[in-house]
Amino acid sequence: MAADFRRLVEDSREMTRRSFLAMAGWVGFTVASLIALYQSIRWLYPNATYEDPPAFKADPPSAYAVGSTTVIIDKRVVINHDPNGFYAISLICTHLGCTPRYFPDATSDLVLAGTQIAKDPDTGQQATKANPVLPGFKCPCHGSRYFRDAVNFFGPAPRPMDRVHMEVAPDGKLLIDRSVIVDRSFRLKV
Amino acid sequence: MSVIRAAIDEMYSVVGQMVGSVFRHGLPLTDKIAARTALTNFVLHIHPVRVRRSWIRMSYTLCLGGLSFFLFIVLTVTGLYLMFYYVPSTNHAYQDMRDLQFVITFGGLIRNMHRWAAHAMVITVWLHMARVFLTGAYKKPREFNWGVGTLLLLITLLLSFTGYLLPWDQLSIWAVTVGTNMAKYAPIAGPYTRYLLIGGRVVGDNALLRFYVLHVVGLPLAGFLLMVVHFWRVRKDGFSGGL
Repeated sequence: MAADFRRLVEDSREMTRRSFLAMAGWVGFTVASLIALYQSIRWLYPNATYEDPPAFKADPPSAYAVGSTTVIIDKRVVINHDPNGFYAISLICTHLGCTPRYFPDATSDLVLAGTQIAKDPDTGQQATKANPVLPGFKCPCHGSRYFRDAVNFFGPAPRPMDRVHMEVAPDGKLLIDRSVIVDRSFRLKV
Repeated sequence: MSVIRAAIDEMYSVVGQMVGSVFRHGLPLTDKIAARTALTNFVLHIHPVRVRRSWIRMSYTLCLGGLSFFLFIVLTVTGLYLMFYYVPSTNHAYQDMRDLQFVITFGGLIRNMHRWAAHAMVITVWLHMARVFLTGAYKKPREFNWGVGTLLLLITLLLSFTGYLLPWDQLSIWAVTVGTNMAKYAPIAGPYTRYLLIGGRVVGDNALLRFYVLHVVGLPLAGFLLMVVHFWRVRKDGFSGGL
């Protein structure tokens, strides 16, 4: 087949008008088919999705007490206010995307069952027999758990939940942009 | 009087011609007539002219392929009924499902027939495949039909997965979130595949509509065409049982 084709191209004496037109026809058919294939796949990728915009406004910073954890469930975002500033967590489990739930005590059942829980690398806190209760998040789908600062410590989650950008908008409210992932050291000081 | 009699005679002959056009060979009183009837009749032609008793021994096939096809028909018919009341939009889907359960007469019956037949079909297709494997019926010359069968298993599972989203309750939303996030783990193509599957970044209106279209048209149509090939190949390759 390939040899025949090469012979056809190399030896122009064998290239009759009819075989040239046939070849041109097949090339055209193949190109048109590939374009149609591209179009039919590209068609399925919407350019606009009309989903909830990634940026939204929360309350002014004064609404969040120091040490508080606020879950904004409709936006799947958590606002933590620590003594050294604010940060926002994207409340999407890093395992397979479910929404973890906040619990004031996310550790004691594991500690009492004898499971060793690693130290939180960011805060240095550790749940021990002497002090088993630490707040955090539990994912309802496959049981991943995170400390209050979104660092994973149990279950299949491969990494901490993402932190997202936040700033104070001109009107004094907190503006959170879920499309901008920031470093774990990010803090907003107000 | 003779006019009426002539009219009745005419009616008989017209009816006789109509019946004769459907049943061309009369009653299958001999093997020859039976064979000709089976060969020329569209409904019967799936059936071999001659079947050895040993080929269709119940203890050999366990009727699993036939059961799977029967359940497919049940699912097609009940699915069609459900479509009269179900709107694939995030504003309506859950409420429509509840209406089917509690408001629409026989709604619960139809929905549960669809639901249980779907569960049962996954089981019978798996068992059918296991039976074919254990009896070695996938071997030459039936390798191709084994391949078609694996595609039919895949379509059965995809039909289950797409149908799972349609009630639009918490279980279905998060199951599909999890399922499509698994696709996201694939190297390079992962995120594109997920965006393609759910038509966005979160499981929302686009995802529901896509799964609905695949569930009620795309996958059943592909499954039907593959079934046609599957059954035809069974006929051409011959039954494997009773050797």
